Amino acid sequence: MRNYLLKRLAQTIPVLFGISILVFSMLHLAPGDPADLLLGPDATPEAVEDLREDMGLNRPLIVQYGAWAGRIVQGDFGRSVVLNRAVLPEVMKRFKNTLILTAGALAFAVVFGIGIGILAAKFHQTVFDSAAMLVALAGISMPTFFTGIAAILIFAMGFQVLPSSGMYPARGGDFFDLMRHLLMPAVTLGAVSAAILARITRSAMLEVIQQDFIRTARAKGVSEDKVVWIHALRNASITIVTVLGMQIGYLLGGSVITEAVFSWPGLGQMMVRAIQARDYPTVQGGVLIIAMSFVFINLAVDLIYAWLDPRIRYS
Amino acid sequence: MKIWNSGAGALLATAAFFGAAAPALADETIVIGLQAEPVTFDPTQISDLNTSRVVHRIYEGLVGLKYGTYDLEPRLAESWEISEDGLVYTFKLREGVKFHDGTDFNAEAVKYSFERQTDENHPAHGSLTYRGAPSYLGPVDTIEAVDDLTLKITLKQPSGPFLARLAGMTVKIVSPAALKAHGDDVGQFPAGTGPYMLEEWEPGIRATLTVNPDYYGTAPEIEKLIYVPILEPVARLSALTTGEIDLTIDVPFDSLTELEENPDIELQQGASAHVWFVALNTQLSDPPFDNVLVRQAMNYAVDKEGIVNDILQGTATVSSGPLSAGYGDLQNKDVRKYDYDPEKAKEFLAEAGYPDGFGGCEFMVPESGSGMQAPIEMGTYIQANLSAVGIDCQIKTMEWGAYLTAYRESPMMAQMSWNPPIGDPDIVLNNLLNSSNFPPGWNAGSYKNERVDELVSTAQRLSDPDERRELYLEAQALIAEDAPWIFVDHGNQIIAHTTKLKNFLVSPNFDLVVEGASYED
Repeated sequence: MRNYLLKRLAQTIPVLFGISILVFSMLHLAPGDPADLLLGPDATPEAVEDLREDMGLNRPLIVQYGAWAGRIVQGDFGRSVVLNRAVLPEVMKRFKNTLILTAGALAFAVVFGIGIGILAAKFHQTVFDSAAMLVALAGISMPTFFTGIAAILIFAMGFQVLPSSGMYPARGGDFFDLMRHLLMPAVTLGAVSAAILARITRSAMLEVIQQDFIRTARAKGVSEDKVVWIHALRNASITIVTVLGMQIGYLLGGSVITEAVFSWPGLGQMMVRAIQARDYPTVQGGVLIIAMSFVFINLAVDLIYAWLDPRIRYS
Repeated sequence: MKIWNSGAGALLATAAFFGAAAPALADETIVIGLQAEPVTFDPTQISDLNTSRVVHRIYEGLVGLKYGTYDLEPRLAESWEISEDGLVYTFKLREGVKFHDGTDFNAEAVKYSFERQTDENHPAHGSLTYRGAPSYLGPVDTIEAVDDLTLKITLKQPSGPFLARLAGMTVKIVSPAALKAHGDDVGQFPAGTGPYMLEEWEPGIRATLTVNPDYYGTAPEIEKLIYVPILEPVARLSALTTGEIDLTIDVPFDSLTELEENPDIELQQGASAHVWFVALNTQLSDPPFDNVLVRQAMNYAVDKEGIVNDILQGTATVSSGPLSAGYGDLQNKDVRKYDYDPEKAKEFLAEAGYPDGFGGCEFMVPESGSGMQAPIEMGTYIQANLSAVGIDCQIKTMEWGAYLTAYRESPMMAQMSWNPPIGDPDIVLNNLLNSSNFPPGWNAGSYKNERVDELVSTAQRLSDPDERRELYLEAQALIAEDAPWIFVDHGNQIIAHTTKLKNFLVSPNFDLVVEGASYED
């Protein structure tokens, strides 16, 4: 187990290295110049050239990468060009907000997605099953920005029961205010995941329910609730957890649009602005943080497998 | 808002959770919804409008703008004298002014603040990433603190726009003590002399300003300003109608009617110095944009009224030159105008030798961008108008960041807009149309008219406003005749606020000046 963990951790290094090369080259090869964007229309061409020189943008790409990667290894993510502040603390501050949003979305997706999936399997081929799967299909099909804006129009502007944007009221607020502000973005972000989880849970459960050991359990007189919630769910959970792990990654990355719609001060929103301004250090730092969390989530999912199914061994 | 208390039952909690979205407005505090969060509080490092809308409250320059206008008025300088030859500016500074950090404002402070930008060996020079000094302090030769309250600035050559430039953001005066104390991080610890000071800043969430108790001028009536970023226009609108915010800018065009009918909201449209145009590459013979008749034909072919009314919903005025009505008497209103007339366009094309029009023209359009209004809709409208007279253009859209770079590489035909931060025509006529600013400068169409060059360059060296005005009027007439651009529109600023906010005036430089406003509950 320990060896396995060490091996997996060692594997993350080349992955992160590859990601860093990919992000770096994609950004630098894309058209657009940070100096142009930063200086704005009132700058002289000489000022733009000076700034390019200062930012080291005139050096060969490989030298720029080397310098950046060398500093990253030492924990120095550089300074944001736009915010004129160290990247890492700023990225972590926003990442914390993204995690709050993701956690909210995940809670919604797990409770509603898995819950509805189980019930749909239990009441297979009933009206409930069909209705649930229809709603799930709609959930998968609706893009986040549409759901988000529709939610604002209905609940914030129409019924005026929920705030339209931000994490807290403008004048400040407590945990309770945070929850009010979280509700719409979390549901918007979690809707697609909930729908996917509902469908996956249902099919995984249906598959398990048809197996011999379930028939045996029923024959032994185990109550139907126990059969569904204990025997079947535990065995279906490998599939569910795999998909769930992937969904966490999706939620972290997918928060970009939700954060923009609801002005949620997270990493996604920060990254969009950084990309628009070609703020290379911020984008690169942000992507690395997201990539790292993705890698660790996958690792965690693999470890959970063993706990769910003791037959799985790591070597 | 503290509704929750430990004794409340679940029912009460639910009621509160879904209860009224708008907390009751506290006295003398207003909440302002910006399109994006402010990024820094160092005035030298700002090139975006939303940040300047906040930072203008905190810092001041030697001169300022009169409320709601582009007219200059004394600010940190009480008065000034300009020498006969236009080279020496002597400023008499205001007495008894203190920075927010408690230190004294004086001539040395101005010198320190300016030389930070102009002198590469200055101890605080390293805290600059973006150097706006060439545009603002470029003409400066020496800066001398004659005594505590007298500052003498000597220029290398006379400069007409210099005084107006001193009202700009980059040259606002920063406390030397703050620069020494905070170094590179001065952008997080602002200390200016303005009527408001920073109380709290939570990036991405809010920036709170509070009134400066030691302000030398008239104290603002509104005690606290809270700025919140709301990126999505619909959310901004929703926040305004539910009372979460009190004031906002750039509401979506299609919701204007709805807001006009709302008794709790006042909608203000104000002229600005904005200009929106399509630059034509005047050096190009295929397509024949080097032919003035062709460029004039294109101006006749485009239905600018249609664009203003149908796409922009009346939130702009039709343009007939680079300067808008926001410039007051500096705008030449008697220039040649190109009213929509496709028949005339065809006649001009025939006269130019293209009776059937021409093709092969690539029209660059950004997907979005500061001041670009509705670039894609306007681009396709123009494309259709041109096609109707036989000019076939292919639209090429680009993301704004990539677009700005491509725009400076001699495009064939490209949209652009300009939001001048100060009210001097130089920033438009010289930057965009003087042949000394050929690409990679901002004269993207490489327009060259020797007389225009001479007029604009001479005006740049004069300091007498009346003399300068004459030259600018003549230049505008020539530019209209030459039609280096398709002149399209000047956008209005659209500001929506609660009717409880009184005496708020729209400023032509896109600022949100709340110092003169009051709040009545």
